[in-house]
Amino acid sequence: MPNILVIDDDDIMLKAIKNILNKDGFNVVTATDGKEAFDLLDHTIFDIVITDLMLPHANGLEVVGRLRHNQGNRNVGIIVVSSVGNEETITEAFRLGADDYLKKPIMAGELLMRIRKLIANKNSKTQFVTKKK
Amino acid sequence: MKVIIDFFSRGTFWDVLGIFFQYAVFLYGTSLLIAYGVLAFLSLGSIRRYMKKNANADYNIIIESPLAPGISVIAPAFNEGVTIISNVRSLLTFNYPKFEVIIINDGSTDDTLEKLVSEFELVQVDYAYREKLLSKPVKRIFKSTNPAYDKLVVIDKINGKSKADASNAGINVAIYDYFLCTDVDCILDKDTLIKLIKPFMDAETSTVREVNGDMQIQEDYKRVIACGATLRMVNSCDVDEGLMIRVRPPRRILPRFQEMEYIRAFVLGKMGWDRINSVPNVSGGLGMFDKDIAIKAGGYDSLSLAEDMDLITRMGAFMTDNNKKYSVKYVPITLCWTEGPTTLKVFGRQRTRWGRGLAQLMSTHRKILFSPRYGRMGLIVFPYHFFYELLAPIIEFLGILFYIYLILTQQINWPYAIILIVFVYTYSVMITTIALLWDQITFKYYKTWGETIGLCLMAFLEPFIYHPLIVFFALKGYFNFIIGKKHTWGNMQRQGFSQPKRRTAVKAG
Amino acid sequence: MWNDLANLLFLAYEQFSLLPLFIEIALILIFVAVMATLIAYGSILFRRYNSSVYNKRLAHLSPIIEDLITEQVLLNENLGKDIPIEEIHFDQKALSNKIFRKPAVRQILIDTLIRYRKNFRGEVGELLRKLYIDMNLVEDSFAKLRTFKWETKIKALVELTQMDIPISDSMLLPLTNSVNPTLRAASRNAYIQLSKNEPFKFFDVATEPILPWDQMEMFKIITTTKDITIPNFSRWVSYSNNKSIVVFCLKLIAYYDQQTAIPSVLELLGTKDHRFRAEAIKCLGKLSAEIAEEKLVSMYTSQPVNCQIETLKALGRIASGKHLEFLKNEFLFSNNFDVQMNAARAIIRHNSQISRLMLNEIMETTNEENQLIIRHCQNPLIKY
Repeated sequence: MPNILVIDDDDIMLKAIKNILNKDGFNVVTATDGKEAFDLLDHTIFDIVITDLMLPHANGLEVVGRLRHNQGNRNVGIIVVSSVGNEETITEAFRLGADDYLKKPIMAGELLMRIRKLIANKNSKTQFVTKKK
Repeated sequence: MKVIIDFFSRGTFWDVLGIFFQYAVFLYGTSLLIAYGVLAFLSLGSIRRYMKKNANADYNIIIESPLAPGISVIAPAFNEGVTIISNVRSLLTFNYPKFEVIIINDGSTDDTLEKLVSEFELVQVDYAYREKLLSKPVKRIFKSTNPAYDKLVVIDKINGKSKADASNAGINVAIYDYFLCTDVDCILDKDTLIKLIKPFMDAETSTVREVNGDMQIQEDYKRVIACGATLRMVNSCDVDEGLMIRVRPPRRILPRFQEMEYIRAFVLGKMGWDRINSVPNVSGGLGMFDKDIAIKAGGYDSLSLAEDMDLITRMGAFMTDNNKKYSVKYVPITLCWTEGPTTLKVFGRQRTRWGRGLAQLMSTHRKILFSPRYGRMGLIVFPYHFFYELLAPIIEFLGILFYIYLILTQQINWPYAIILIVFVYTYSVMITTIALLWDQITFKYYKTWGETIGLCLMAFLEPFIYHPLIVFFALKGYFNFIIGKKHTWGNMQRQGFSQPKRRTAVKAG
Repeated sequence: MWNDLANLLFLAYEQFSLLPLFIEIALILIFVAVMATLIAYGSILFRRYNSSVYNKRLAHLSPIIEDLITEQVLLNENLGKDIPIEEIHFDQKALSNKIFRKPAVRQILIDTLIRYRKNFRGEVGELLRKLYIDMNLVEDSFAKLRTFKWETKIKALVELTQMDIPISDSMLLPLTNSVNPTLRAASRNAYIQLSKNEPFKFFDVATEPILPWDQMEMFKIITTTKDITIPNFSRWVSYSNNKSIVVFCLKLIAYYDQQTAIPSVLELLGTKDHRFRAEAIKCLGKLSAEIAEEKLVSMYTSQPVNCQIETLKALGRIASGKHLEFLKNEFLFSNNFDVQMNAARAIIRHNSQISRLMLNEIMETTNEENQLIIRHCQNPLIKY
């Protein structure tokens, strides 16, 4: 079962995404701020990280940047989900290594589709199976 | 009638003076109390207006908007090595789309700069620095090579021994139209920038009049030149890496009194003034300014001991001198938590400095006092500060001396004296309690009712413990001001710099 | 008994009236202050009690409401199967829970739905709207719109627009001219969002300014509302007397890259207000209006600094390469630092072979200070 980490400071969004993704057979862990996310990332290997950009403790760009330098989670798929529509920020997110960007309000179906696509891409590239430590 | 008859029948000079003084003090006291009462009413109006106006404001819109004005956050740091990383990290996480964080390393002697450089992957850049405002020389300017920290600018400058000097260097580097001045060790709310920029964007823009079919632009709008928010004590709050987790009133008695005093000063004072567009000052701990006007007004004065009020005064004077309407706004929500001094020594140093600063300010800008040219500032703000802030400790002190004289000469009418004292006491308790009540309208900062009532009860102790201290330190400040002026006229600069600064004073506590 | 009391009061009053005036006043004020303090304490405790009751209720209700939304909307079986939203039905039993009849609960329900709507669009968003309609919460919102309190009206407007419920013109248009600026802004926003055929109608008649904050809200609504007809904004640039509307239209023209508006923007260059002119120059730059370059350069010397800087920025954006010499001269010989900076940036922005050669040449010949400015502007780490 693929592992997904969702980082957002809006608890409603967290619960909703968790529910939707659980139904489709994903294992979802949530974090409400940057610090919590970093703690989780240190101990767990994820397949996909979905992050907001405006977060307490560390902004989403920092999360993206750190993930790409993190041994265990270097190959994780990163989807940025944010209400920020500012083009510079979006470019920056991609430059730092985000794989995809969705603007809030999002379409649930689209999010699911992109997650599946990312996982499929990843599996075709890498052979080893990720698992929880 | 009796008093008047007595006055004529006894009629010695000292009696006349005594009675005159008695009446003068009574009138002064009454007018002061009335002023407080009026402020309380104005402040309620102002707070309610703010709450109603912003109840449905969608602050998220500005986060997504390309029209959001840019803001430069300016925070000087002097020997903050222990906490600098988490504090800067916290400043970088504001909810806002377009801002930069300018940290001014004001000649720290510890590892503040080294820590910043290694943590945020900084490199020195060739920077075309232009000195629009005076400050001590800037040595180097750093930017981060990590795009995640591209909002960060670090200035390394020679120590100017004042926050004003460091802030000026920061303003010189600031690229955006607005700047937020704060201390690096203050805990700021994530929405500080959004909440403080809104009053600037709500200002009435110029209206159009049609003249002979031509578009004629009438420049009669009120430009918001500065905006502040309330401050509180961080002392007993739970803070996690620069993020406020849980607000509590300070447990220790001295900062606890300060929390009460701050709430009263901001909620009742500043918000009351806001209602009649006469905000006298935006506190140095947190304030947003229109950069253009601040630079034209000459920026911070590093010789001033009340540099925050000094800046607002000069910005206001600049606008008036150029025949432009302006306003200074306040928002009734707490966005900044600062460390209050916990020892009497540090507290005394801080208050003595404030007292001295006020005296200095009043003397520097004396032309504004009673000047109708400066409108509300000349006819309301300054007279109020002159009579009820500057003179209050002096009159109070004289009043006490007079009472002692009356007691010693056994002339005192005890029942009347006691009634008057009870009157002043109950009134002051009422004013403070009302301030705390108004504060509850905006946001319930304290989690339990025990904490709230516990703070309210301090009002009963204040006149006996806290208030005498404030009066004493203010008088000490005035005294220093007069002495300092006489003895070191030619060397004012050195004298000014050798004063312990509020910021360092706060740190020491 | 009553007589005794009356006598006592009378005696007390007699005593009181013999006191000097200032003592009388003091006594009265002591009474007032004590009462006011007691009332203040009472209200603090009362407010806290009220809010704690409310919070308890909220803590109890939130899970119920969230469960309802999760079950009926988020995890709805019919989602993702290409079934039209109108044909998806909710479990009536869950919707008719008694709890949802209380007005306070319904308000919490509306607020929660709006929070979800801010996070989800598409099928889920539509289904959230359907839940709002099916539970008849629309009526709650309209009831609020009919009250006399302006802040309640605003709340209603926000709810209705968030849920995309049309409001009749007769109800909404008068509000767009309200004297209350906050209500005015909210109803204008609602008007743009909800009026599909002529969303910008009130631009023609608006006499009061659109404040910067309101411009921002409106900008967001205009740029994100689906199927809104974007008009040619040059219409208001040429004919509106409302300066804030003209400025706002300039921003929209730049955003939508309405090239056909260039002539009317050019006309604005003759206006007397320099801030207004600066906006027009900025707009021309964003439109890359090569046609405007000659005019901008020819009027340059007579402009105040802010317009000069906007002109330099515009030349950098247009980057035709025709005025590189002009930029070079401004860079080398202006004694205004900001002008120099912007001239340097404008040259760098050209990023053509000629501009690069020119920069090399400048770097070789000019003084150290100017070299520093160019290095500053070329450094990718420094954005501005």
